[in-house]
Amino acid sequence: MATSKMTVHPSAQRAAGPRAAELQLVDRCRRGELGAFEELYRQHSGRLHSLALRMLGNPADAEDLLQEIFLSAHRKLDGFRGEAALGTWLYRLAMNQILDHVRSRAARTGQVTDGLDDATLLADTGSHRLADQAIDRLDLERAMSELPEGCRAAFVLHDVEGLEHREVSDVLGIAEGTSKSQVHKARLRLRRLLRARV
Amino acid sequence: MACERYLNAIQEAVDGTLGSIRHAELEMHLLQCEACRALHEDLQRIHDAAASLPVVEAPDRAWLQIAGRLRQEGRINEQTSASRARTSYMPWLAAAAAAAIIFGSAVAVMLLRPWMGPTPQTAQIQQVPAGAVKLPDERAVESAQNAVDAAQDQFEKAIAELEKVAKANQQALDPVTSATIEKNLGILDQAIAENRAVVKAEPASVAARATLFEVLRQKVTLLQDTITLINEMRKGNNAAAAQLVNKS
Repeated sequence: MATSKMTVHPSAQRAAGPRAAELQLVDRCRRGELGAFEELYRQHSGRLHSLALRMLGNPADAEDLLQEIFLSAHRKLDGFRGEAALGTWLYRLAMNQILDHVRSRAARTGQVTDGLDDATLLADTGSHRLADQAIDRLDLERAMSELPEGCRAAFVLHDVEGLEHREVSDVLGIAEGTSKSQVHKARLRLRRLLRARV
Repeated sequence: MACERYLNAIQEAVDGTLGSIRHAELEMHLLQCEACRALHEDLQRIHDAAASLPVVEAPDRAWLQIAGRLRQEGRINEQTSASRARTSYMPWLAAAAAAAIIFGSAVAVMLLRPWMGPTPQTAQIQQVPAGAVKLPDERAVESAQNAVDAAQDQFEKAIAELEKVAKANQQALDPVTSATIEKNLGILDQAIAENRAVVKAEPASVAARATLFEVLRQKVTLLQDTITLINEMRKGNNAAAAQLVNKS
């Protein structure tokens, strides 16, 4: 009779490896090791900075907020239990801070609606298409920064970050239909802005 | 102008949520309507371009500021951080260690100075009558500025020693790593110059001084890591070298 031997499936090993490494890294951060926190920062700052930059549409605000996000993460690392991946935990934390910032800025400037006129956008769906060459990344980033706040947030989450409308509605606390209409308006507005740049 | 009744279908097609029957109907319409076809293609291109936007890295100064604030808030265990950095024992690293000691002493002197008792010079100043307050204040600021300058000299000497050791042995590094290190040193030099200007403008600001010293410390750390990397590569310890490269 063949003896059975407890083995770990290779895929489980692969999954356990990065998670164990993450927990070790977090543990070193908790002990106050600056090098460990720098490693954590280098791994995740690009994605979170991109998110903040695109959601806020302002590099200086994004940089300031990125600092606050990582300082807040350092303070809250004791609460990280490893149930979710570290990247997911940081993403949620960052998203909450970004949304708080967006809301307080909207409250300060009094901008509540998206400021887009449906009739104007509908009238602007003419046959003058965008130039044939690929859309320039910087042009697109600049055009996105000109979108109204709510509209930009929905567009970034849906088209850039790849969330479903249902998820966008959860994150932003809006109806799913509102998410769709904000993203759709954003695309029409971007088309107009990009055409103006050609 | 695109046809209003197909607008939602076009957007949902771009979202990828349009049902197959409506999709087929839309396809038929797009064959006949140039305006809707143009709109559909443009919105699809915008969606695709947005989905493939690359990650935008934060400027290097963002990390320097985070590290500075963590230190200011007392959230960093200096002993743990320092002990992990000590990975090399080659004798020629003694020069680097000596430079680091000079650097550490200078930091200690400068950071403690605002809370230390009066120096002989400032003790004399305190005996000046109250009516002549303005001149002693200026002298105290000048004295602090001189102390900052002296500490900066110490830092620069320490950094120069480390740079000398690193440059003399840099041929052990591959060109890509070497170029990356050079680039990072350039960024730190720029940050040092900017922070030095801030300290000059606000000589009494402890925060400005702490930030300057943090950047100087980063440069010393980078140079020390470079020397350690060279050392590991010479020993043929590729695993340790790879770890260091990943760290930086």
